[in-house]
Amino acid sequence: MKEQHEHTKARKYGMVIDLDKCTGCGACMAACMAENNVPFKKDESDKLLSITWMRVYKLTNGKKFPEADICYLPRPCMHCEGEHGHAPCVSVCPAVATDYSHETGIVSQVYTRCFGCRYCMAACPYHARYFNWWDPVWPDGMEKYLSPNVSPRMRGVVEKCSFCFHRHQLAMNKAYIEGRRKLEEHEYQTACTQACPAGAIIFGDLNNPGHAVTQIAKPDHKHGGRPMNPHAFRLLERLGTNPKVYYLSSREWVKRAGDNYIENES
Amino acid sequence: MSTSDDKAKEVSAEADVSAEAVDEVETASPPKVNEKKQDNGGLGFIILFFIIGLVGSLAVGWWIFPKLLYSQKKQPIDFNHVLHVGTVEEGCESCHYFREDGSFSGVPKLAQCVDCHEEVMGEDPEELKFVEEYVAKGKEVPWLIYSRQPDSVFFSHAAHIKMGKVDCVICHGYIGESTHSRVYEENRFTGYSRDIWGKNIAGLKKNTWDRMKMDDCAECHAENRAVPKTVETLPWPISWMPRPYEKPASSQIRVHIEKDACFVCHK
Amino acid sequence: MKVSRRSFLSLIIGGAAGTALSPLPAKLMDDSAIWTQMWPWTPVPEDGEVSHVDSICTLCPGGCGITVRKVNDRAIKIEGMKGHPVNDGGICVLGLSGLQLLYGPTRVKTPLKRIGARGEGRWEKISWDEAIAEVVKKLGELREKGKSHTVACISGADRGTVAHLLGRFLTVYGSPNFIRIPSIQDSYELTMYLMQGVQASVGFDVENADFVLSFGSGLIEGWGSPVRMIKANSIWKEQGKVVQIEPRLSNTAAKSDKWIPINPGTEAALALGIAHVIIQKSMYDTNFVNNYSSDFEEFKQIVLNEFSPDDVAKITGVSASTIESLAKSFARASKPLAVCGRGQGETPGSLNEFMAVHALNALVGNINKKGGVWAVPDPDYIKWPEVEMDRVAADGRNKARIDGAGSKRYPDTRYLLDRLPDAINSGKDYPIEALFVVGANPVYTIPDSNAVKEAFNKVPFVVSFSSYMDETAANSDLILPNHVFLERYEDVPTPVGLQKPIIGLAKPVVKPQFNTKHVGDVILLIAKSFGGRIADAFPWESYEACLKKTLGNKWDKLINDGFWSDSNFKPAVWESAFSTPSGKFEFLNKGGAESIKIEGDKQSYPLILIPYDSMRLASGFIGAPPFAIKTVEDTVLKGKEIVVEVNPKTAKEFVEGRHAILSTPKGQAKVRIHHFDGIMPGIVALPRGLGHTAYDEYLVDKGINFNELIGPVEDLVSGLNAAWGIRAKLTRA
Repeated sequence: MKEQHEHTKARKYGMVIDLDKCTGCGACMAACMAENNVPFKKDESDKLLSITWMRVYKLTNGKKFPEADICYLPRPCMHCEGEHGHAPCVSVCPAVATDYSHETGIVSQVYTRCFGCRYCMAACPYHARYFNWWDPVWPDGMEKYLSPNVSPRMRGVVEKCSFCFHRHQLAMNKAYIEGRRKLEEHEYQTACTQACPAGAIIFGDLNNPGHAVTQIAKPDHKHGGRPMNPHAFRLLERLGTNPKVYYLSSREWVKRAGDNYIENES
Repeated sequence: MSTSDDKAKEVSAEADVSAEAVDEVETASPPKVNEKKQDNGGLGFIILFFIIGLVGSLAVGWWIFPKLLYSQKKQPIDFNHVLHVGTVEEGCESCHYFREDGSFSGVPKLAQCVDCHEEVMGEDPEELKFVEEYVAKGKEVPWLIYSRQPDSVFFSHAAHIKMGKVDCVICHGYIGESTHSRVYEENRFTGYSRDIWGKNIAGLKKNTWDRMKMDDCAECHAENRAVPKTVETLPWPISWMPRPYEKPASSQIRVHIEKDACFVCHK
Repeated sequence: MKVSRRSFLSLIIGGAAGTALSPLPAKLMDDSAIWTQMWPWTPVPEDGEVSHVDSICTLCPGGCGITVRKVNDRAIKIEGMKGHPVNDGGICVLGLSGLQLLYGPTRVKTPLKRIGARGEGRWEKISWDEAIAEVVKKLGELREKGKSHTVACISGADRGTVAHLLGRFLTVYGSPNFIRIPSIQDSYELTMYLMQGVQASVGFDVENADFVLSFGSGLIEGWGSPVRMIKANSIWKEQGKVVQIEPRLSNTAAKSDKWIPINPGTEAALALGIAHVIIQKSMYDTNFVNNYSSDFEEFKQIVLNEFSPDDVAKITGVSASTIESLAKSFARASKPLAVCGRGQGETPGSLNEFMAVHALNALVGNINKKGGVWAVPDPDYIKWPEVEMDRVAADGRNKARIDGAGSKRYPDTRYLLDRLPDAINSGKDYPIEALFVVGANPVYTIPDSNAVKEAFNKVPFVVSFSSYMDETAANSDLILPNHVFLERYEDVPTPVGLQKPIIGLAKPVVKPQFNTKHVGDVILLIAKSFGGRIADAFPWESYEACLKKTLGNKWDKLINDGFWSDSNFKPAVWESAFSTPSGKFEFLNKGGAESIKIEGDKQSYPLILIPYDSMRLASGFIGAPPFAIKTVEDTVLKGKEIVVEVNPKTAKEFVEGRHAILSTPKGQAKVRIHHFDGIMPGIVALPRGLGHTAYDEYLVDKGINFNELIGPVEDLVSGLNAAWGIRAKLTRA
């Protein structure tokens, strides 16, 4: 493995989402659906069955009027590294349909390998994985907008956010014909990052000190990537999933809500 | 779905029928022997029937089955690669070029052909057909693509041709030296070209370009570990077919088995 | 012969052995794996050459630049255009879903003529020639009878070449009834006209403001140009403060630095209360007030006498100390900005309120200043020769407008669509014989849906130019489908609320998918069929030619960059900014802040129903496409049922998620209850943008249209609809 890494330093793609800036407008969700050929049904109000690789959750502080407060929290796949790539979903997949890439830090999902046991869904603490209970159906003519870069999924497989991995593939293509193996920060950005009107989502390589994500989150790679920025936190940090999505918030209750905690815990 | 399903049934049904037919022909003559030497004859018959069954099914599996599995399709236009390679300067990439964004153009679109074929050139009837039916009508030629991979596959030509300096021939063979388009054989079941599995129904191959399955990708990558860790192989073989030659399965390779590579070539 | 059992078994075994030694099982196994992984019915999108086309999104008045990604001739994704002055790469849910409208099932694919009853949904496909002949015949008859003024046109916009072509046609044809869809633009334009004496759009230099005082505006929920406002909000996070005043914890309120709940409808009083503190403590901009305003003393007296913090506190429910501290922070900020217009600004509102809020801007002297409110002239690129009217046209144009705009009662108001249903239904003036609807869906968006439908039914000839089978198209007699925005050229003048004049150009991204025609071309064809003066007024051979000629030397820049902006534009300096009778800014507040009385009596309807807007639900003339509907939370829509927000205190007898009947004087609806602590007790909030009876199966019949539960309330000064809510009650279902 070591000798292979010599060619290109391993990257670790990650995201920082600024919850102070996020307005809950939902553009990231729609951008993701449009980019990744995510299907839709007549009724999408049962959110357990609604496939949204990127989902914006609405958090409330639980206080009474007028102290009530709300905060939106966009949740893509966290692309957990766990310990050495031991992401919760990866370790339970019996089909090697999902995998942690040490090359990019991305947790893959190969639909044609998945046979739909849904162990990964049970294992994922973030509900980031979705099962195709039905075959996707686009109204007559609408399949014209489907992107050739992402294969439409069939019934019976699990799907999830891929950090728009196809954009990485395409960016690498361009780099290759220009004789490069490295990508600039702007060459590979996810669809949600690009669409966010608030500029609340930042994407890049957490191993690259020049990238904005690294500068903002300041991941401590010696301690499982914990953020050294005091305003940054990760969801369910204490589970040790070592996620690569960091959140920023200036509100204390939001930071608390980011982890399971007991009511009177200090 | 229903069509390929039916075809699949057809395949097995016909296989049964032919097996029975063989059976009847062979069993028509020797009944008397059977009565006289019951013990020995019994054994003989048992052996005979075993051989009949064996030969029959072998014939079905090796000879009839491939004929039933693949339908033969002609390309819309008989294309002469040699003729074209002779007139262009940059070899394959003159027509099968890379776009600026790094994507590979694949089979040329009509617009490219029109540059030269605005009018009929020469006297080949195929040329006439091409100009009249496609160029004049502005209709794209529905080429049948021998190397078409499933939608789940992302194959980067840029990585192989530009970075890996792999020659086109390694995967596509000497198609540039063909003067006629060969028959396109379509798998009735899956809809893909026979070139993916390879001409040999057993999946045996002599040349690198004889097959285009994922195992072949893996094999080449395992042999030439020059390419930075892309696909090596899966933790277990996805195909159980015997290989024509030993994989360089030294312990080193086993150590280097990486299973994080699926996303490199899948989408 | 007889085959023994043993022989038979032997045959089978031989066969099995042979089969095992053949490639058949392995090959079939492999093929079935491939087959099941790639079902033939799962679509395989065709790959090809990628290209990008820059254009402008016209799905809302926001005017964002878009870059459409194409593969061969298919549009596959809409993205925000980098470097565009409005949105610089950002994009909203609706814009992202644009391709679902282009390729979606709601498109009207060819001209249609009604054959069943109105709204029954039975149509006959006709050719464009027949369709245009039909319109020309009807209009010709009316004109011959001297009834040209009975033709009305409802348009989504009154700027840009398409709206001008429509207006021009009505002028030479002889009708005064060109009516624009109402919004806060009406109120703001009138405010600018009355207080500053200018006919201009209002622009807000939000990017440079450092203290934004919002009176219920959904700053990040679609107010103004939505993406631009969300971008501005991110700037404020770093260098600015936002105070949101409204009875409900909206997203804007949640994102603001301070949320001040207020009794709904009392915003004008609060604004004047703040003015009181600013004046009393002499914190106002003395230069502006003394030198560039004319009636400050009068205004001062009213404000000081009637709007002390204590009095205002009683009206608004906002404490006197809060009012004082608000006033101080506002006046002390270096670039304060006060804005109003509730939610996305689809209902105009009370003129007193707009003037009271604008007076705050004047007090701190941020008119036409960095970070302030700017009067933005329309880019004047449409310079067509004056039309020559024949006598019929001149007579028709001299008739009073059906909606009462420009009448003695409402002399300065330009359009009053909200009064149209009543004018038609009451039959007081003259009947409307033909109605054209362009870029609008009034049957859905105008309050009191029943009255609107009734009015539509009274008009014998309704023509819709909609690209989609929306509510208005469904209730028309003839549909002449326009290309959708991705198939046509169209100029897009300065987006709503932008502080600089710009022109955007929407251009065809893909070829027209169906047998549709550009509305501009249809107008030209109709005019040409008339001949005479009418045809003379339209000397262009096609809409594209007209547009190209109109834009002149800007055309090339527009084609290349997608937009044109006047980089030298600066707002008028105070010396020359005001064209009022006094030549100065006029506070004009004589009426004080009497709040608009909403419909319904307190006894029968103890609660107040207000609407709320969301970026995820399109509530304008476009219905939410499937992607947008999918993003809607289950606390807004559950199955086909709409969810209303009520404070748990108010909804004590209703269990969370249970059904209730919501009734108002206008109608009732079955709803589900959602306990929400972010809303004042006594108030029920209902999302806008649901309850469609047209569009596709992903949208139709989901929830209820707010406009079915509310009617317009006329503002006494302007005639505009000022209803911000309606009395309501909740009963057990």
